[in-house]
Amino acid sequence: MYRFRLRDGVTWHDGTRFTSGDVKFTFDEVLLKFHARTKASMGGVLTGIDAPDDRTVVFRFKQPYAPLLQQLDATEAPIVARHVYQGSDPQANPANASPVGTGAFKFAAYRKGAEIRLMRNPSYFKRALPYLNEIVMRVIPDAGTQVLALENGEVDFLWGVPGPQQSRLQTDSRFKMAQTFYHPGGSNCIMTVSFNLDRPILKDVRVRRAIAMALDRDAFLRQILFGEGKVAAAPISSEIVWAHARGLALPAFDRAEAERLLDAAGWKKEREGVRVARGVAGVTDGTRLAIDFLHFPTFAKYGELMRQHLGAVGIEVTQRPLEPAVFAPTVFKDRAFDTNVISYCNGPDPEIGVRRMYHSSQIGPAPFTNAAGYRNERVDALFDQGARTVERDRRTPIYRQIQEIVVQELPYVWLVETPTTRAWAARCGGFRAWTGLFAEAAFCKP
Amino acid sequence: MIPRYLLWRLVQVVPAVAGILVVAFVAVHTAPGDPVLALAGEHGDAAYYAFIRAKFGLDRPLPEQLVVYAGRVVSGDLGLSFVHGRPVAAVIAERLPATILLIGTALAVSTTIGVALGVLAARRAGQPSDLVLRTAALLAHAMPSFWLAQMAAITLAVGTGWFPVQGLTNARHAFTGWRYALDVLHHLALPALVLAASELALTTRLTRTGVLDALATDYVRTARAKGLPEQGVVRHALRNALLPVVTVVGSRAGLVVTGAVLVETVFAWPGLGQLLLSSVQTRDVPVLLGLFLLASLTVIVANLVTDLAYAWLDPRIRYE
Repeated sequence: MYRFRLRDGVTWHDGTRFTSGDVKFTFDEVLLKFHARTKASMGGVLTGIDAPDDRTVVFRFKQPYAPLLQQLDATEAPIVARHVYQGSDPQANPANASPVGTGAFKFAAYRKGAEIRLMRNPSYFKRALPYLNEIVMRVIPDAGTQVLALENGEVDFLWGVPGPQQSRLQTDSRFKMAQTFYHPGGSNCIMTVSFNLDRPILKDVRVRRAIAMALDRDAFLRQILFGEGKVAAAPISSEIVWAHARGLALPAFDRAEAERLLDAAGWKKEREGVRVARGVAGVTDGTRLAIDFLHFPTFAKYGELMRQHLGAVGIEVTQRPLEPAVFAPTVFKDRAFDTNVISYCNGPDPEIGVRRMYHSSQIGPAPFTNAAGYRNERVDALFDQGARTVERDRRTPIYRQIQEIVVQELPYVWLVETPTTRAWAARCGGFRAWTGLFAEAAFCKP
Repeated sequence: MIPRYLLWRLVQVVPAVAGILVVAFVAVHTAPGDPVLALAGEHGDAAYYAFIRAKFGLDRPLPEQLVVYAGRVVSGDLGLSFVHGRPVAAVIAERLPATILLIGTALAVSTTIGVALGVLAARRAGQPSDLVLRTAALLAHAMPSFWLAQMAAITLAVGTGWFPVQGLTNARHAFTGWRYALDVLHHLALPALVLAASELALTTRLTRTGVLDALATDYVRTARAKGLPEQGVVRHALRNALLPVVTVVGSRAGLVVTGAVLVETVFAWPGLGQLLLSSVQTRDVPVLLGLFLLASLTVIVANLVTDLAYAWLDPRIRYE
């Protein structure tokens, strides 16, 4: 059971008082019905929510539920105003396009495809905050134009600057840059290659290990990310410090060992070029070692390096770039792929973003779940135990065990951790790295 | 008898649009990709996907969906956007003014300046200025618009600070009244110029050739022989030379929906081009169909106007 005491003197942007009734209504009528992640994670273990008085909220669970405190942020659990939403279809409420909140900025205008304007909330519950009078969010689809707009003084802040553009801003004292692992769509992301474990040619762990060893992950970091980020050292992001396992033996880049493993697995290099099967279980003799590699069009460079590195050990790779709307059903519904690359965002807690990659209950059809089709009862049990355990230092060894197992079985190859580089005008500052980017201390000198 | 001809042409619009609609509907629905997954995001469960599918009628057989859709279109209802959750007509209508402004300006600029330059080049045929104009026109026509757009943004905007590189208005000041109009014009300059460049080149080349041909005809020799001043001669010749120009400008009006995608994307111009791109990415089928419908209607109407303009330009052309 969790008991929360709400702040006093908090009002909605329309002046109505914020109460525990808003919290209870939001969970009961909106989040647990319509918010896919909250519904999937919390829905199964929550018994009920009580609001005994205006300022007290009580969450009752069937079993200990570790990630709740991480989950109560604006992305996973945004609280909506009961007096605005009660008795309406929450998905069709006009307030969805002109939201009423309790935050530091209130909604002013939304011009579709152009901009969203927010203005300072003078009755924000933290007096004297925020510093900024107004925030204008511009829709600028082209990344190159975004950087030009910053250089031209038309905007003050960019969410992300692509690698090649960074050097231009780096040498210019009018701008500042900083790296963050927090993205609006999820945090602590790792570019990850999935193996389709249903495919006979990928069932043998020696083949998967050979592929992992044939990939020079430093080259991915250098050539694709221009050094921005780090080679993944474990299946869980190094940014979740307490859950990230140190000193794991991930397959290191070793082309000769990769070739030896492939030979041992029955994939022979008979002539120059692609290897063929000689006595591989479930594979007709003479089958070429050829795999496809699915990726978003924006991740084409990962495909090019895959093709190059695996080609060097006699594996033929065919790139299949697919738009996100096509990629998702192809991989997760039809499972029509050999390998792919996905940016798996781990989130602030392994329960939120890591479990979905490994738990056997998470194999399709929902997108960006267990792409490998990995099943291991021990791993399932450990994840379930990790979710029930509240004390962090007792969760650490549980996630370490999980990582030791999956590094041996290699349903995935963890390539690189990918931060985003933010850039802003030097006269501005105080941006928070995580949620509440502009809400509290952000300022701009005139 | 223009009214009868007009009526006949208008009747032809109906099967043309219906055909386009069916082809577009089938094409969009058979293209790979699932709007439900694009819509419900990466963490939905099976029940939620089923709920979305039923909500938008995507669980019905395709022919049934087509019949329902066609019925709605006839009654003027283009359906609900999957992504925006609002009527397609409203979604398109709020983007339409920005695109009309951009394309209209670009076509007006390219046509007036293109015709003027074409006449200039024709009157100085073979001289150095003609050669310069022809070379410039060839270059402008050959440059891809997205490249030209980026070059313009780097040199004319960031280089000089004269122009903004993005948006319809200034992000820092919400202007009103005539200052708002000036702000929009300031933001319009670069995208309109880039879009006009290639059209302008084409118009210049067509006008030059047309005027040169006309200047070599018998009636021009007669006009000159009876002592008509050169200005008057060119005016007569130009009227006949304009037929191919009108054809090209008319056919370009279809750009209203499709042609500005690249320029709108580079300059973050909030028009239909951007809407088209984002609707393809999110598989927003009703919006895509609405845009196709609008595009086909625009092309049909523009062709009709072009045909009528022929009769006005050349009295020998009569429609029966």
